[in-house]
Amino acid sequence: MMKYSLYPGCSMEATAQANLKSIIAVAKALDLHLEEIPDWNCCGATVASGVVGDFTQQVMTARNLAIAEAKGLDVVVGCSSCYLSLAVTNKRFKEDEHFKAKANEALAAGGYKYDGSLRVRQFLEVVINDVGFDKIKARVKKPLAGLKVAGYVGCQTVRAIPYEFDDPEYPVQMDKLMEALGATATKFPMKARCCGSSNAIAATEIVIDQAYKIFESASEGGADVIATPCPMCQLNLDAYEQMVNQKYGTNFSLPILFFTQLMAVAFDLPADAQALSYCINSPYQALASYGVAR
Amino acid sequence: MEQNNKPVKYDLNFAREIYNLENGSYIKQCMQCGMCAISCATREIMDYSPRRLFNLIKLGKKDEVMQANTMWNCTSCCTCKARCPRGVPIIDVMHDLKKYAIQNGYADYPQAAFYKAFWAEVAGRGKVFEGGVTARYYLLRGLDEVKKAMAMKDVGLKMLKHKRMPLFPPKKIKGLGNLKKIIKKAQEIERREAR
Repeated sequence: MMKYSLYPGCSMEATAQANLKSIIAVAKALDLHLEEIPDWNCCGATVASGVVGDFTQQVMTARNLAIAEAKGLDVVVGCSSCYLSLAVTNKRFKEDEHFKAKANEALAAGGYKYDGSLRVRQFLEVVINDVGFDKIKARVKKPLAGLKVAGYVGCQTVRAIPYEFDDPEYPVQMDKLMEALGATATKFPMKARCCGSSNAIAATEIVIDQAYKIFESASEGGADVIATPCPMCQLNLDAYEQMVNQKYGTNFSLPILFFTQLMAVAFDLPADAQALSYCINSPYQALASYGVAR
Repeated sequence: MEQNNKPVKYDLNFAREIYNLENGSYIKQCMQCGMCAISCATREIMDYSPRRLFNLIKLGKKDEVMQANTMWNCTSCCTCKARCPRGVPIIDVMHDLKKYAIQNGYADYPQAAFYKAFWAEVAGRGKVFEGGVTARYYLLRGLDEVKKAMAMKDVGLKMLKHKRMPLFPPKKIKGLGNLKKIIKKAQEIERREAR
């Protein structure tokens, strides 16, 4: 059994509970043990630094790494934005001595210290590199044969640290994962396009216009569903699909799922692990052939 | 043909102030190639592309820069940062410009209110409660926004129905006191480091 520290992040407790439920269940099915970092705090996403600056935001993020360092396990992150914060901060601790000294001076004010010894990783990358496609294939009980999946990787997953595990321009790893589950990855030129991120509240139009381009591209590729690793991408597409239809006169009805939900379906895990009821645009029809229960 | 031979006035004080921000000095590396502009997901609705904004900073055009919507429409998607041939961490520069704009009273864009609301949640709880951010945002923006909020009620109702919007916030983190001390110290260090 492989052990990891888990950084869930705020969205996993609210808008993206389906992500956390499916991550935990899929990890268990693959014999990966995830231990939540005790008393973790918000990473600040890409928003906090617009108010208090990068340094303060990164120090705040580093409190989580300092707590996790006691166990020495790789830190696994599900959310793309949390991953960006934690991975970039971690990289600076490893590469920039001046930053590390300053950051530790600030951490010391709260009684923490971080040596920079950990690895920060995305759950998607852990599944692909530590488990591997062969073992995943072997675990599949209900192959997703015939399901056409648009693999929407989004922006920060592959560009937080470019070329870390996939091509930042045209990522392919999640497509390969979908094929390992028996599904067909569709042609999807907008797979790494931004969804509009946190503008959903303050400038909704941005999200609607971005989402339109993404739905159009996924539709042209013939997708039945969109799969993503990112809570922000999932929420923006799922919550605003009907507003896209209203604005553009389109008729999109694509369900948007976390890749881990599709893994849970293919692994034939219980309904609670698949967490499909959290989807605003119903995935039940698209997944009917794979025995999903409401 | 009459030519405008008036010399361009450079306000170097403004440029220097921006260069002194955390990632500000990277702006000097910009060679005006425009890769950021063609890469940007929201370029069409920006007053100036990042390339043009950086040029305006070099020219010291304070009002044009600070009143621009460019940084507020940046979604931190990292496309420009990943592609910039000069290694300018453009999204991080945009973070600095947002912070500078808020500090200097250029915070009329709705995104600025969202940023402040988000930070108030983080600083007060150690975690972000999306319901809290939204409520604080509408308080900051006032009545005009409530009309917009009504247009969004369908989205809100659907989110409630699918358990996507908890009505109660998460507990404050236990180490909130320590987190606040860390943040305070980090702010002191940052001010000390800024020349």
